[in-house]
This record gives sequence, structure tokens and C-alpha cells, in this order.
Amino acid sequence: MRRVVFRQLLAAGFLAVLAGPLAAQSGILTGIVTDGASGVVLIGARVQVVGTSLTANTNAEGRYRLTNVPTGTHTVRIAHIGYASMNRPVTIASGENTLDVTLSLTPYSLDEFVVTATGTQERREIGNAISTIDVTDLVREGPVANMGDLLVGKAPGVQVLPGNMTGGGSRVRIRGNSSLSLSNNPIYIVDGLRIVSDVNSSSIGIGGTNPSRVNDLNPEDIESIDVIRGPSASTLYGTDAANGVIVIKTKRGRAGAPVWNMYVEGGAIKDENDYFDAWRGWRNTSTASNTTQCLLSQVASGACTQDSVTRFNIFTDPDASPNGTGTRQQYGLQVSGGSDAVRYFVSSDWEREIGLLQMPDFAADRLKEQRNIDKVPYEAFRPNMLQKTNIRANINANLGSKADVAVSTGYVSSTQRLPQTDNNTTGLLSNAYGGPGFKGNIVNSGGVTRANFGYRLFTPDEFFSETVTQDINRTILSGTANYRPTSWLAARAVVGGDFISREDSDICRRDECVAFSTLKDGFKENNRTTFFNYTADASATATFQLGSSLSSKTTAGTQYIKEKFARNGAFSENLPPGATTVTAGAIPSASEATSESITLGFFAEQNLSYKDRLFLTGAVRTDKNSAFGQSFSRAYYPKASVSYVLSDEPFFPQTGWLSNLRLRGAYGESGRQPGGNDAIAFFSPTTASVDGADEAAIVFTALGNANLKPERTREVEVGFDASFFDSRLNFEFTFFNKNSSDALLSRVIAPSVGAAASRFENIGSVNNRGWEAVINAQLVNSESFGWDMTLSGSWTRNRIDDLGVIPETFGTTTARVEGLPINAYFARPVSFDDANGDGIIALSEITVGDPEFLGYPEPRGEFTGFTSFDLFNRKLRLTGLFDAKIGGKQLDGTNRIRCESRLNCRGDVDPTAPLAEQARAVAVRQHSTRTQAGFIDGTDFFRIREVAATWTVPDGVARLVSAKRLSLTASARNLLVVSNYIGLDPEAGFFATNSGFQSDFQTVPPPTYYTFRMNVTF
Amino acid sequence: MTFMTLPTRLRRWGALGALALGLGLTGCNSVLDVDDPDIITDASSASGAVALRNGVLLRFSAATSGGESLFLMGGLLSDEWKSGDTFEQRNSTDQRSVLVTNSFLGGQLRDVNRVRVEGRSAIDALRQFSPTPAANIGLMFAVGAFTTNLAGEHYCNGIPFSSLDANRDIIFGSPVTIDEAFALAIQLADSALQFTAGTGGDAVIGLASVVKGRALLNQGNFAAAAAAVAGVSTGFEYQVTHSLNVNSNQNWSLNTSARRYVVGNLDGGNGLDFVTAGDPRVPAGPSGGANAFDSQTPFRAQFKWDRTDAVVVASGIEARLIEAEAALRTGDATTWLSKLNEARATMAGLDPLTDPGSTTAREDLHFRERAFWMFGTGHRLGDLRRLIRQYGRGSETVFPTGAFPKGGNYGGDVNLPISQDETNNPNFSQCLDRDA
Repeated sequence: MRRVVFRQLLAAGFLAVLAGPLAAQSGILTGIVTDGASGVVLIGARVQVVGTSLTANTNAEGRYRLTNVPTGTHTVRIAHIGYASMNRPVTIASGENTLDVTLSLTPYSLDEFVVTATGTQERREIGNAISTIDVTDLVREGPVANMGDLLVGKAPGVQVLPGNMTGGGSRVRIRGNSSLSLSNNPIYIVDGLRIVSDVNSSSIGIGGTNPSRVNDLNPEDIESIDVIRGPSASTLYGTDAANGVIVIKTKRGRAGAPVWNMYVEGGAIKDENDYFDAWRGWRNTSTASNTTQCLLSQVASGACTQDSVTRFNIFTDPDASPNGTGTRQQYGLQVSGGSDAVRYFVSSDWEREIGLLQMPDFAADRLKEQRNIDKVPYEAFRPNMLQKTNIRANINANLGSKADVAVSTGYVSSTQRLPQTDNNTTGLLSNAYGGPGFKGNIVNSGGVTRANFGYRLFTPDEFFSETVTQDINRTILSGTANYRPTSWLAARAVVGGDFISREDSDICRRDECVAFSTLKDGFKENNRTTFFNYTADASATATFQLGSSLSSKTTAGTQYIKEKFARNGAFSENLPPGATTVTAGAIPSASEATSESITLGFFAEQNLSYKDRLFLTGAVRTDKNSAFGQSFSRAYYPKASVSYVLSDEPFFPQTGWLSNLRLRGAYGESGRQPGGNDAIAFFSPTTASVDGADEAAIVFTALGNANLKPERTREVEVGFDASFFDSRLNFEFTFFNKNSSDALLSRVIAPSVGAAASRFENIGSVNNRGWEAVINAQLVNSESFGWDMTLSGSWTRNRIDDLGVIPETFGTTTARVEGLPINAYFARPVSFDDANGDGIIALSEITVGDPEFLGYPEPRGEFTGFTSFDLFNRKLRLTGLFDAKIGGKQLDGTNRIRCESRLNCRGDVDPTAPLAEQARAVAVRQHSTRTQAGFIDGTDFFRIREVAATWTVPDGVARLVSAKRLSLTASARNLLVVSNYIGLDPEAGFFATNSGFQSDFQTVPPPTYYTFRMNVTF
Repeated sequence: MTFMTLPTRLRRWGALGALALGLGLTGCNSVLDVDDPDIITDASSASGAVALRNGVLLRFSAATSGGESLFLMGGLLSDEWKSGDTFEQRNSTDQRSVLVTNSFLGGQLRDVNRVRVEGRSAIDALRQFSPTPAANIGLMFAVGAFTTNLAGEHYCNGIPFSSLDANRDIIFGSPVTIDEAFALAIQLADSALQFTAGTGGDAVIGLASVVKGRALLNQGNFAAAAAAVAGVSTGFEYQVTHSLNVNSNQNWSLNTSARRYVVGNLDGGNGLDFVTAGDPRVPAGPSGGANAFDSQTPFRAQFKWDRTDAVVVASGIEARLIEAEAALRTGDATTWLSKLNEARATMAGLDPLTDPGSTTAREDLHFRERAFWMFGTGHRLGDLRRLIRQYGRGSETVFPTGAFPKGGNYGGDVNLPISQDETNNPNFSQCLDRDA
């Protein structure tokens, strides 16, 4: 046996394609695959000769044809999505052989195919839990506007923090944060190509969450998404795959007459959130101006007496509110079809979403008066917008019976307009949340006195006049070639690139923006960035039948990934009136940035299958990367897995209620690479003012680290899949334990060293442990009525196990401490006692304790429920997605700053405020520690994430418009949230750091989408 | 069932494939080569040495008036500036309750040490590749002396000074007292004077002399301090310059422009009347709206500096003030007063002073003169600490005290602690003490 295996390993070289066809007797196998109940032919069913590389898909007539099948007895496996797969023995003779097959519907199957690093595999072969999202129906029948909407609540262990603003990106975490300083984002593979998936992808800050490049993808073009959760499954994707891999497969054409799909979507975006009132304590005074408040702390000390308390809510005041109604439009046309030889899928899509922000009337009137114009410029009137055009053409062609090629091309052109919001002095929410608690406030801004309608410093006519835009032109192009020179050897190559041109622009015309610093003088920034990602991936798989029970599959391959980022920026300030270009500014400056990273990896994988029920896999990947230190040569990542379909064993009791039982386990390693220059000591060029003259200078910037190597993550996962009652009830459970060692930490360099502020070192370790479970149930399944339900849950414990030699670090509200999670909330707790019983908490009545751990910064558990009802002969389908996240805490930074320095929170002002609210306000504003612990609160919530109703009109009605199928969908997103969180919304948060730490600081809460959609198939 | 074996031809190709794989595993380094035009890895040339020197001067700017440096934070802790801001880091400094977790502390300590450590590298490069003019080398010592003295004036006892060896490996320093920091500053100033003597580098000699006198004053060595600055002409100024292309004067940026800092006026009872005094040395007053950035603190702007105005960090005026104080310490009120008036005579609108008569009043007047002459240049906190350390004043008689305007009370800090970031230095744990 050892000799045979050795031969196989030799056989799996890259030159396999040169091996040429081997002389052997062979025959042809053809047949037709149909639905056992209806007799309808099944299109796209996969037919495979077990133990060989021979596979074929059924065409529009349900027929398949396999050539070069070695003569003799084989097992043929036939599988199709939604159907129970079938193994059929067949004896192949020279010439043509026929095997017709009927399949039966099943709600759940182990025989679905998932895309892995070494090609397509059946789920039963893989020792990991891989979630597959069937995208087509979700998009057609749900309120899905972007990739974030598509992923949220769809797979256990995958937590999505949605972007809350039109064009804002989402944050995706798989099995929690595990890196202290590097990105915790998963990588994305589209049709075999590694794509750019940066979050906060913009060179211009707006204070809030910027676009994500993942949202450039059009969900309408996607057929399915496989979520590969951790290193135990992602090993072969190499360095950078430790955070999981999201594998996206775009739609493909199927042989047959052209099928046209057209959709039209329209909708409204509303803000249904309850915003905080701004409070004010009026002073009992004889002076006319009464500009100074009387706060509770002053009442308690006798410094003043409150005359009255008022409150004002900008968001509910029709004169002042910046919230209007957003709109959404989307139109698309897709056509697919072709012949057995060539198949195509072509789509085009146009969408425009106008965010709900709208300049209120008072601001619009003032702007028009100031500029002496009749109409507010639209970009200032509606400062948030996304318009996007997607075009895709995918072609698959068979080049004879031994080879096929697939070409995927996707192009997107988009333009976005982003408002100044969130953590931004000159943005909307800093000024809207920070107002004085009454509408008639008069503010002197830049020497001009004017009414502010309850806004703090600046008003929408000013900050909405700053226009930030982002234009994207992106092409994702990949080609895949498969070559099967013999029945046992298959070679595969993928080459492609992701090419992005991004233009970020920010303009304040002279005299039009806020009177802060020099902004009133006007400025223009224009930054042009290109991203080039190249992937070249080649592998060969040799498949052998080693006797009657054992089959073997050996794969070896290589992968080259190059990522290049280059940006040129130009900025100038002090613009002349009317000027809009960088060259017009009196004070210009320029910038340039480049980064490049190359990974070259090799991998080999050996699969053994025993009687198609016990699957063993062993693999190793080795990588070199341009970012590794000189003293580090190469990273090796091994993996092993076992999958055992226990229920297929003859000894397994055949009961009526247990349909399938599979046990699985996997171990794997993966990594995260450091940044391109992290290993190098270098200087940076700059300019110094020397005796009044600008002179060329260099400053020491980085100490470097010659020993730098990738962060390594090892993961073990075990679990089982069980299905009951003819697979109508299915249960999947997974436990995982993930350890990141040699953790790449951006270690602070002691300031007394001068030099750089930090450098990356491989220090310490982080552990993530948890479980994931899914229950699928087909509760009712009749011709006229159906009821399905999916419940999923996950729980993750994150813990810093070891910080190595570096000291524990304590910030204002968080700490980095061994034994606690990354970004653990850690602060001095506040207790209080209204000793004098006056209903007001004074400084002397609070007690501030020693700093202590207050909670996890992320939800630890997520529980989702998706249910669907098919009514009226399945013509009406109702669906709902419910989502609950528990176990996390968040700093309500909005109320913190309102209490600490805006002085408009209820706890500062209202004598009837709950004592706890008063105590936290006193602690943050008056106590010497300024502890913010009182604002760190649990974020447990339950949300009705999506609801939708889809009516498929009677065929006769559809035929009136020459359609084969016509459906109408009404849907809503973010209908209701139930939470005791003290902030606006537990998912109101932006994230800017590498670890993606969520920050609720003057942030936008989620809006509600109401959409209506028509799908027509011709 | 057909049992497949591998034919000879395939074995051959397979072996070749394995060989190719092996070669790829071992010989792929050139494939991984990347270029990054953003960085410079070698400065081993004459022009590189000069560029390094210029870089040190940029660091010096950041550590003084071109960054949110000890000039500003020290002014906030004393009575020069008040926080008109919402940042807790500034508010707690203003309140004299600075925790080691204050995230602003690390940057300022790093800026101070960058001047010294990068200055050392620049000195090595200048000596090797561009030894003339020698004043360049002297200047590197002088700015290092300045920032080292500044550290002693602002931080607690227990300041570590680390360094890098020729291989850029870190040599961690152990905590030293402020007195030892002043001694180190004097050594560096002496080195500057030694390198520059006879080279015509008057600016460097003036800077080094004033820094040396200032450090000696901090040590309480008044006579030596006066001697150190005796050769500095009253009209001498060493300026940190700014430009639109490099960095703005941060007194302008953070006060006049961003309104996060407010000029102090009778801060916490003991503070000087920097605004209401109407002194031409500190032109200040309301500007462009009633309140500062935090919407609650009455805004008071300084009008001394605009965006790109240079800041005088050492001067002949300071030399005369040092001489005056040395005279005052010996009880020579006449010389003391004449030195003060010699300085005042250089600015229009300043009348000559008269002797207030008592020792305490003379001390008060002397420190007031220093405060107004050197407003916003990193001297005030050191002076308040000297009033406690050298003149026996109580901390609550010189620092702002009582009720803090934003709530609560002033704390008791008289200096800045060392940032918790410094605990990455294995020789450091915390301040030796927080005494003045």
C-alpha cells in the first residue's frame, strides 16, 4: 500500500497535463435523470463515476454523457440540490452504455456539493461544518440590498454588524475576533479568485462607517455562498485564511433555450428609531439672557435653583429633523442558456439608493438666502446616495470531452455620496445629539450669530455642504480550465485579477461649510487609488480505486497571489470662491502611498474514502510571503479531517425516525500575514521647516523585526449531522477550539526609546472556543401548504491566554489582560446612595471602585430563526428572519459625551431622572477618575430582521405578459428591535480599527427598509 | 474492477513534477520581491546625514510648538491654558488629575525622546559623512539638551531615557530623578557648546547656553545658571519655525483655530490674569463666538501667534530673567530689577517695574514676569514646581485649586506621570514619586 501511495504522490505533479491520455479500454455512459415523483427531467444534476475524475452535469433535457469511462464495474453517484443522492452500480463495456436514474426530493442531504480549495467536493467527504447559502431565492424573495444583508443571520458562527447608512459597509466576524492587532475579517474568493474585500475602504474619513469593497458585488449575480469558518477547513487557502473564507460562486448558464429574468424593485427607507431627548435645566435668574444651565449637581450644592426643565428632540421636530424618507430603486435583466458545448449567463443591474438624510427646511432656507440661489444643490440636500451599475458575463464551454473552460467577468461602476456623521465634530450627529435642549438656541458661529434650531454648534446647511464622493470602477475577471486527460487524472487552473480604480473626493467650497478651523476657507481633496489583485492557482487531482472498498484522491497544487495598492492624493485649502479643483487652492499638498504583497504557496492533499462512508483527509500547505522577516523562511500549515457517515454502516440500526447520522472532526492550521513593511527598519521622507525654509528631511519611522512570521491559528472542530423522519428534521452541531499563537501584536515601544511608536512582534496567544448548531425542519409539506423552519445558534468564548513579555494595558474603558477577551471592557464601577434622600445624586453620594472586568465587547451568542410558510397552493410565501444576539456589552459613547460635556443628558438635568442615570452622569463629569463604567451596558437584543411576502401570480396571468413566471414580493428589513441597551440601538456602531472594535459614539442606528419587487421570468 | 497502476511514462513525468515542486519550494525568493517607494532604508551619505539632521529638527518642532507637546500639556496642568474641549485626556490634565492611562502622555514622551535618540543617530551620520559645519552637530546636542531639560521640568521623578545601539537594538534606560535629567541636559548642552565653539554657530551657542542656564536654574544652581547665559545677548532668539507645508503653530491650531484650548485667566484662583492683564506680551481675548469647542467654556484666544508664526523657545530675554533670578537669590534686588527692566525695555508698551519691597512680592513679580514673557513656551509648569521646590511655596498656593469649572474639584498633581506605555520598558514600573 505504501508503494502505491507513493506512486500517487508522484503522479500529482503540476505537469500532469503533459502525461497525455493513457491507453486503456473505455466506454461511454449516457442517461437521463428525472424527478421520481413528477417525472420532470432534472437539469444540472451531477453524475460522477466514483473513484475517478469523471463527472458530468445533466443538460436541459436532463441528459448526461460521460466518455472515457474505463471498462468494468463502477459505482455512479447522482446528486442534485434538494434531492437525495443515489449510488448506482454499473458495468461499462466498450461502446455506449445507458443508465437512467430517478431521484427523490429530500429537505436535507449530505450529498450537496461545496466549493473547497481543491475543487468541488460532496459535503459528506468533508470533516468540517460548511454553511452554504443558496442566494437566488433569498435575493428574489427578501429585502436584500447588499452583501451585508445577504450574510446577516444566515450561518451560525458568522456575526455581521450591518452598515447602517446607505453605502456603509458591514463588519463580518467568523467565530469571533482572534487577532489582537491584525485584521479579523475573512477573505473572499469569487469563482476561484481572491478579491479585494477591504472594509472602511476610503481615504477620506466621514466619522462613520465607510464603504466595504465586498458591497461592490451584486447579490443578484450570486448563485451560492459557502462559508468556511476556520483554519480546520481553510488551511489550503493559506496565509491570511485564519479568519475564515467566504467562497462565492456566481451564476452559470445551463444548456437550453434562453431564460430571461427581469426584476424591478422599489422601496422606501425610514428611520423608525426613538432618539434621545436633549434636556435643559433653566436657571432661576434675574438676568435676561439665562445662557447658563442649572445642573442637578449645582442644585445639590445650592449653587442655583432650577426654574424649569425642558427637553427637545431634533429628530421628532419637523422643522429641525435631518431625517426624510430614503428611496431605493433597482432594475435588472438576466439571460442564461446555451448548448451542451457552450453555456452563458449574462446580467445587467442598475440600482440607486438615496439615503434618508435630508436637509431640513430651516437649513435649506438659510442656505438659499446666504448663497442667493433658488434651490439647494441636490448633493447637499440629499447628502447620502449610492448608484451602481453591475454587468456580468459568465461563459462555460466544453472543449471536447476532456476539457472545459469557464470565464467569469464582472464589472461594476458606482458612485457614492457620503455624509459627515458619527464621530465628527463637523458632522451631523455630533451636533444633533449634542444640542442644548431647546429649539431656539442662538449660536455665534465664526462671528455670525444665528438660530440653530436645537443643533449644538453647526447646522445641516453647513455640514451637508461638505460633499464626499467615492467613484468605483472595478473588474473582476477569472478564467478556470479543467482538463481530464484520463479517467483518473484531472487538472484545474484558475487565473484572474481584481482590478479596482477608486476615486475619493471631498470638497468644501469657500464660505459654504462649517466655521471650524479653516474649513470656511474651502478645501478640496482628491485621492486616486488602484488595487490590483492577481491570483494564479493550479492543481491536479489523481483519483484511484484501491480495491473494492477504498478509493483515493490525491491533489497537489500551487497558488500565487499578488496584491498591490497604489494611491496618489492631492489636497489644497483656501479655495477662491466658486473653485472646485485641487489646483485652485492656495495651500496645496500631495501624497503617495504604495503597498505590495506576494504570497506563493504549495499544497498537497490526500483523501481516502472507505466504502463511501468513511473519509479521511490529510493535507499540508506551505507559504512564503514577501512580508515575512528575513530570518523566517516559510510557513507550513497542516490539516487532517475525518468524516464518518455512521448511518450508512450495515450494523447501524435502521429506524424509521433516524435517517442519517454523520460524525466529523477536523484539525487545521492557517495564518495571518503581517503588513508589507512590518519586518523592515526604515526611514520616511518628509519636509522640515528649518530656519523658516522648507527642507527635505528623513525621520526614523520603523524599527522592523527580522524574525517576523505569520500569526498561526490552530483549530480543532468536531461535530455531527443527524437527520430524522426522512430528513425532514435535521440537526447539525459543531464544537470548535481555535488557538492563535505567535500572535502578531503591534507592540508599543516604550516612549523613552523615541523611534517608532510600535512594531509587530510574534507574542502571546488567543483562544476562541465555542459551539454552533443548526436545526432545519420541514414541518408541513403538502401540495397546498408548506411550513419550514431553520433555527441556528452559536456561542463563542474569546480569551487572551498569553501576552508574553508585554505588560497588561489599561485604557479608559478597555483593557488587554490575560484571561480576558480582546478589547475587554474594564473600568471603575460606580455605586451610589442617595444619603440625604433628596432624589438627587451628588458627587459625595457616589462611590467609584477599583477597575474591574465589565464584559465582552462583542455578543457571545447569536440565535437566529428563519421560517417560511407556503400558502394557497404555494402561491403565497411568507418568510421571516429573527435574530437575537446576547452576552456582549458596549460603551454607549453617545450618552457618555452628552453627560460629560454636552450637558444635555437626562441624568445631568432632570431631578426625576432615575438615580442610576444621575450617578453615571456625576461619575463621568465630576469624579476625578471620570469613569465611564456607567455607560457600558449589555447589548442583548431580539430583532425582526426580515419579513417578506411573495405572491406568485397564476400562470394564466403571467402568460398575459408572455411570462413563464411572475411573482410580486413585499418585504421589510429591521422592523422591530427589543433591547434594554441604554444607547440608541445595540447595532448602532461603527468600526475603524483592525480588530473591528465596535464603537457606539454618536452613531447612526439601523434604518428600516420597505421594498416591493417584481420578478418576471420569460 | 480494474485495479490501476502507474505506467512508467507517468512515473517519469511525476518525478519531474515533484522536482519542479521542490525547486519551487526552494528557489522562489525572487518571485516574492516587492518594491515600496514610500520608504528609505539607507541614509549613509552626506546628504542623508543632512536630511537626518533636518528630520531631528522636525521632531524638535513636534516636541515643542509643532505638536500637542509638553508646551501645551504643561500649560494645561498649570495656569497658562484651560481645556475648552470634550476630550477627557485634556480635561483631566486641566483638572490636575492625570492618570497613567491618559492616552496623550505616550506621544509627548516619545516626541521628547525622538529628538534625543534620533539626534544621536544624526550626530553619528554627520560626523561620518558631513562633519562640517560642526554647528550642525552642536545643534543636535543642543536640541537634545532642550528636550531632556523639558522632560525634567514636566515629568515626575523617575524618567527613563532609553537609546538604540548601532544595530538599532533597544538599550532600555532606568528611571532617573528630575535632577539627574537636568544634569543630563547640562551635559548635552556642554557637548553642543564644545562642538560649536569657534565655528561661528552663534544660534547654537545661544540655544545651548540658555538651555544650560535653564537646567542649572532647575537644579537650584543659580549662580552657575547666570554664568551660563552671561554671553547671550538680550536680542538673541532661537525660533522653531512653521510653514503651511510642514506643520502649523499648535498654539494657533488648538487655541485660535480649533478652540480646544482656552487662554487661562485667574485659573483656579491662583492662576495669573493672562487675559485681563492686557499685557502686550500675551495679547488675548474673546474671539469669534462666546464658547470654546465644548460649548460651555468661555472662549479666550491668544493673538500672539498666527498659523505659521515662529515660536521663540530660547532667548536673550530668558537669559536676563535667569540672571535676574540669580541676583534675587543673593538678595541683590537692584540687579534683579534692572535685569527685568532691561528685558522690558525691548517691548513697546511695557513700563519699567518698581521694586515691590518684600521678598515674597519680588518672587511673585519675578515669576509673573517669566510667565508673561515666556507664555506658551513650556516654562510655566517648571516654574510652578520651582516655586514649591526652591521657594517653599505650597502646591495649593501656586497651582489652580478649588472647584473645577466642569464639575468636581481640582486634583493635586504638580507634574505629569510617565505614560503606562513606558511599562514596555522592563526597567520601568512607575514614577519614583510625584513630588514637585
